[in-house]
Amino acid sequence: MDYEFPDGLKYATTHEWIRIENSIATVGITDYAQHQFGDIVFVELPEVGMVFEKGSNAAEIESVKAVGDLIMPLSGEIIGVNQNLADTPELVNSSPFVDGWMIKLAFSHASEIDELLSVDKYKQIIQNEEH
Amino acid sequence: MSKEVNDIKKTALYEIHLKHGARMVSFAGWKMPVQYESIIKEHEAVRSYAGIFDISHMGEFLLEGKDVIEFLQYIMINDLKLLEPSKGQYSCMCYENGTVVDDLVYYEENPERFRMIVNAANIEKDFQWLTDHLEEFDVKITNLSMKRSRIAFQGPKADENLQSLVDVDLSQINRFYFAHCNIQSNPIFIARTGYTGERGFEISFENEFAEKIWNSLLNTGAIPAGLGARDSLRLEACYSLYGHEISNSITPVEAGLSWLVKPKEGIDYIGKEVLMKQKSEGTKRTIVGLNLVDKGIIREHYKIFKNGNNIGYVTSGGYSPTLKKTIGLGLVEKQHSEIGTKIEIEIRNKLLGGEIVTTPFYRNV
Repeated sequence: MDYEFPDGLKYATTHEWIRIENSIATVGITDYAQHQFGDIVFVELPEVGMVFEKGSNAAEIESVKAVGDLIMPLSGEIIGVNQNLADTPELVNSSPFVDGWMIKLAFSHASEIDELLSVDKYKQIIQNEEH
Repeated sequence: MSKEVNDIKKTALYEIHLKHGARMVSFAGWKMPVQYESIIKEHEAVRSYAGIFDISHMGEFLLEGKDVIEFLQYIMINDLKLLEPSKGQYSCMCYENGTVVDDLVYYEENPERFRMIVNAANIEKDFQWLTDHLEEFDVKITNLSMKRSRIAFQGPKADENLQSLVDVDLSQINRFYFAHCNIQSNPIFIARTGYTGERGFEISFENEFAEKIWNSLLNTGAIPAGLGARDSLRLEACYSLYGHEISNSITPVEAGLSWLVKPKEGIDYIGKEVLMKQKSEGTKRTIVGLNLVDKGIIREHYKIFKNGNNIGYVTSGGYSPTLKKTIGLGLVEKQHSEIGTKIEIEIRNKLLGGEIVTTPFYRNV
């Protein structure tokens, strides 16, 4: 199976991608993750202003068959959510890295960024999961 | 490797599913396709055109002998007097307390020969249950499950697409009737039955013909559909699923299948006393349709509340691709089961607003 792995992003072992711009991180789920879910029919996003620790559940993702979580890849405060997902959750399937983004957060511990994966490391993890 | 992995069964169509790019999952001891490309697309194909499902995981028994009808009258809750040769009947076999061993369909080939199709998860249990109750009956039961394959061909175009492949006039086969015929010279059993809420057929044949028949059906333009679509289709149509709406702790009357419970005068069938009493006096719990007013997806096991009191739970839930919203079935206290009753469903520790609604959500048969 061929998945998209855009460069210039950081990745988490729990299949989130993270785009860091200035001190803001935009987070969504990877192409691999959306394939695993299948047709996504509902995303329950957090409210702006909520603060989460790294590793906690920030959003619930529901496909026809499964329920899963968006895991916070960094600690911080939610400063934006993708409102379009309320009516068109399928954007997560069709455009996981662009239109299907889920949350923007102001991260509180910049040092946590170093613990995220490079695209090559993440590709390796997927290859191992596939075999 | 765990024992489960070693023992997992594969249908005769396993390699074909892989070739189609199916995602395979373990289901009732079988490796089965849950989806090929998309559950929603497969679901929509069955509603608008036609889909083919590998249902070879289901069990198939042959019952032969001069007492078959008498035996089935004793062990089944439906009445075989309503049956005739070339016709099938949906029924349940129940325990003495009225809860369900399995729900199934049997087909009368002739008064001394019946074909029975049972749930995949219950094959061994059913075979044992039937065998244990043979007593003095002159009946021989053969388990054909591993020898034969089964495919469901469902959708508004099923008749049209299938007619050119078979040497029988499909318009002569009414709902729940069956025939023996050939698909391009491969012998099949074909019944006008299904589990999708659409017109269509279920066919059964020897394993050796599986790939040829699958490919013939595929060439009609029908879309392969997996267990995911099978479940979303049956949920829209509100067909009971064993282990969900009916089980060894839920009776057919509670599940809204009172019509299956027949008086059968003079026949003391298993479960009759409890079920006839429930049918006339009612039950404390009943299966209802669920609608969520707030946004979210209803899932199995979620709790249902009314004014802060837990009144039941969700037996099946999910997303309806046809209605484009979440739907569900739940087992609730009878006093709160009226259509229009406002309820709450607990989803991840939050109570979301819902309502009890009429069923089925969709059927086109």
